[in-house]
Amino acid sequence: MAGPAASVHEEALLRPLSSFRPKLFVGSLLTGLLVGVLFYSWGYQIVNDIGVAGINRPVFWGFYIVNFVFWIGISHAGTLISAILRVTQAEWRRPVTRCAEAITTFALLIGGLFPLIHLGRPGVFWYMMPIPTERGLWPNFRSPLMWDVLAITTYLTGSVLYLLLPMIPDFAIIRDKAMREHPKSLRTLFFRVAAIGWRGTPQQWFSLEAGIRTMAVVIIPVAISVHTIVSWDFAMAIQPMWHSTIFGPYFVVGAIYSGVAVLMVAMYLLRKGLGIGEYLNDKVFNNLGLMFLAFALLWGYFTFAEHLTVWYGNEHAERAVFDARISGEFAPLFWTMIVVNVLIPLAILPFPKGRKPLGTAIVGLGVLVGMWIERYLIVVGTLSFPRLDFNAGSYTPSWVEIGILVGSVGLFGFLYFGFLQLAPIVSLWEVREGEHIKNRQAPAQQHALHPASEEA
Amino acid sequence: MTRWGMAIDTDRCTGCGACAVACHAENNIQTVGEEEAGKGRAMHWMRIERYYEGVFPDIKVRFQPVLCQHCAHAPCEPVCPVYATYRTPEGLNAMVYSRCIGTRYCANNCPYTARYFNWFSPEFPAPLERQLNPDVSVRPAGVMEKCTFCVQRIQDVQDVAQTEDRPVRDGEIKTACSQSCPAQAITFGDLDDPASLVAQLGRTERATHLLEDLSTEPSVTYLRGGR
Amino acid sequence: MPDGRLHAVFTTSADARTALNRLGQDGVAHENVEVRSSVPLEHDIIPVGSKLRSRIPWTSIVGATLGGTAFFLMVKLTSEAYPLPTGGMPIVPLPTTGVVTFEGLAIGAILTTVATVLLECGLPGLKKPGPLDHHLALDHVLVSVTCDEGASTAWAVKAIETARD
Repeated sequence: MAGPAASVHEEALLRPLSSFRPKLFVGSLLTGLLVGVLFYSWGYQIVNDIGVAGINRPVFWGFYIVNFVFWIGISHAGTLISAILRVTQAEWRRPVTRCAEAITTFALLIGGLFPLIHLGRPGVFWYMMPIPTERGLWPNFRSPLMWDVLAITTYLTGSVLYLLLPMIPDFAIIRDKAMREHPKSLRTLFFRVAAIGWRGTPQQWFSLEAGIRTMAVVIIPVAISVHTIVSWDFAMAIQPMWHSTIFGPYFVVGAIYSGVAVLMVAMYLLRKGLGIGEYLNDKVFNNLGLMFLAFALLWGYFTFAEHLTVWYGNEHAERAVFDARISGEFAPLFWTMIVVNVLIPLAILPFPKGRKPLGTAIVGLGVLVGMWIERYLIVVGTLSFPRLDFNAGSYTPSWVEIGILVGSVGLFGFLYFGFLQLAPIVSLWEVREGEHIKNRQAPAQQHALHPASEEA
Repeated sequence: MTRWGMAIDTDRCTGCGACAVACHAENNIQTVGEEEAGKGRAMHWMRIERYYEGVFPDIKVRFQPVLCQHCAHAPCEPVCPVYATYRTPEGLNAMVYSRCIGTRYCANNCPYTARYFNWFSPEFPAPLERQLNPDVSVRPAGVMEKCTFCVQRIQDVQDVAQTEDRPVRDGEIKTACSQSCPAQAITFGDLDDPASLVAQLGRTERATHLLEDLSTEPSVTYLRGGR
Repeated sequence: MPDGRLHAVFTTSADARTALNRLGQDGVAHENVEVRSSVPLEHDIIPVGSKLRSRIPWTSIVGATLGGTAFFLMVKLTSEAYPLPTGGMPIVPLPTTGVVTFEGLAIGAILTTVATVLLECGLPGLKKPGPLDHHLALDHVLVSVTCDEGASTAWAVKAIETARD
């Protein structure tokens, strides 16, 4: 059985939890500075009113909504992908699930921040909370924004629990180890609390696994509903190139696409930075690379279908938006998007050599940029061309909006670096379980009966 | 029932802009200044859109005053998460400032781009504060606003009619824009009263609605192309 | 043996299973046997006579039903209590209510699933860590038997003899 053999590599996973890592410290520090930029910019906006952003009439929505859609899209990296892999019992998922689910949780937290940043009166955001007040008035559940509130709350709750549940046995492993090595340290106390008294009895395992399985089944439709509803924020509006039935699936595909992209980049960095190539090995990159390729094709197909329909329909208001994208003021962005989202992935990912860590990470970075551009084109592209031509407008982001975008990336890194120091980024027990399954399938080995130790 | 509506005769409109100015004065609309206006943040509940027909020198300018159309099927209403805008029993598209949290979704979903947002707190440098209309609240930063069909004037006339125990007479209510239009291009009244002038104008051959194919069912009728 | 328990550490689940079978032959009730491991081996090694049961996914389905109903009623009742017409829509339109109800189904299922897991696992638990728990971290299997002192010594002797077989 895999006991000691597994533990050798596990050391690499546990190191960031038990000792000072200069790389992690520097990373936390730098991203921490960006978090400062985020909160400075946001504070500046709260004090000086929403007008310090570059949004205007008719472009009422700008960077904040773009970032909102972008981060919610990123959040489809984890929970959805890991749930799909769990439900399909893909064995190679084991080292991937944890780092992916953490991405989901943090990206959702940040994505959920943007509607708040975006509000004209952030102080009364709670008008959107379904709570009884003396006003007697409840939120308007016909509004897609209310669906957003409920869907994102559901998804965040589900994702956090889905991340935490499988972490309990890992915390117990670390607790059991640490209790012997440093019984008095603060870290040990943290893991004792975090393990919430997990013992690892068959009944506990049975219930936990049943719970994880059920959560995986529930979380898939929730994740799909979340990005569908985000797309409905646009599709429910009768604006040119928003009011489209394809938007639901188009956004879901785009979300998973950007999710896989960020997962690729994160896995590459984790592998390099923590030296855990044993876990995040080439096979994992290859398999996720294939999934990545599939989504590149899907996204390209949806993009084509969407634009073909508009071009062929040739409706005046829609054509204005369409032409600005294809050959007008948004053309440089549009064609950059096509290059990084379709052409580069199709040039690299079909080849086994391209699906190595570096290749997928480079494609991933490009896709992240491309998917951000896609949302920018959808939000700003449409709003710049209202149906009454007289009101056409344009949009230039202010330093506040740029600061908040950059800061949000920093906040994500900061949270992730913090997470690395609190939990093993690869699920210990799930990998161990994988080893056991592998060993069981291998020709039965003879083991001497050998009680390791006894105590009275 | 009452359903307030308006008819605007674009054949009469000279594009003078008196309506827009009167609206500013009546409704305490802030003037944002040159720099902000350059960013596209000018606020005019009533604006005059200019469209050019033909090729120079044979060119014709058409003026189209555009304000909130008070649609029966208003796209702006259901998307508001906090009911800050809804349809009143008298057919107005109401805007409740104190409920608004500033998502700006309504403005995005208005095909007429008739909604205006307070990007900053309004300023009325002296002596402008002296001409503020006490019947209309001043809107704070972060709140959406738009044409109300001068709801305060409607209220006034209704109150008077009630004390005198009689129905509101046709033409008794004049919105600020219709009152100030030198060409008398703007008519306001009850669309549900077949005898009212605005309802009669709505039945003429010249009656059209803006972006009619979106089936928003606007309460504003445009009259154009008459013989 | 201060806690009245006999602990044994096994490096393989096969050995643990053998030991559990022998305990069963000796007539030890399964309530008195505790098996612990750092990986899920529940089907390999359960004390003789014990049965693994989980109420998932039935509780999840009940939770989903409750959540969905609660959200549906929230929308219906609050909208009807303060009816404001918007966009020419009905006060409680089925399509939009359906979207909200779906999220209610999901959150109900999620919360009850997690609550069931915690309940069935007896978490959070307050049991003190045992002296041999670090073996769990090494991927070993830990078997503890509650018994009186005499029996435990006898078993220990027997077990050591078995190991020498």
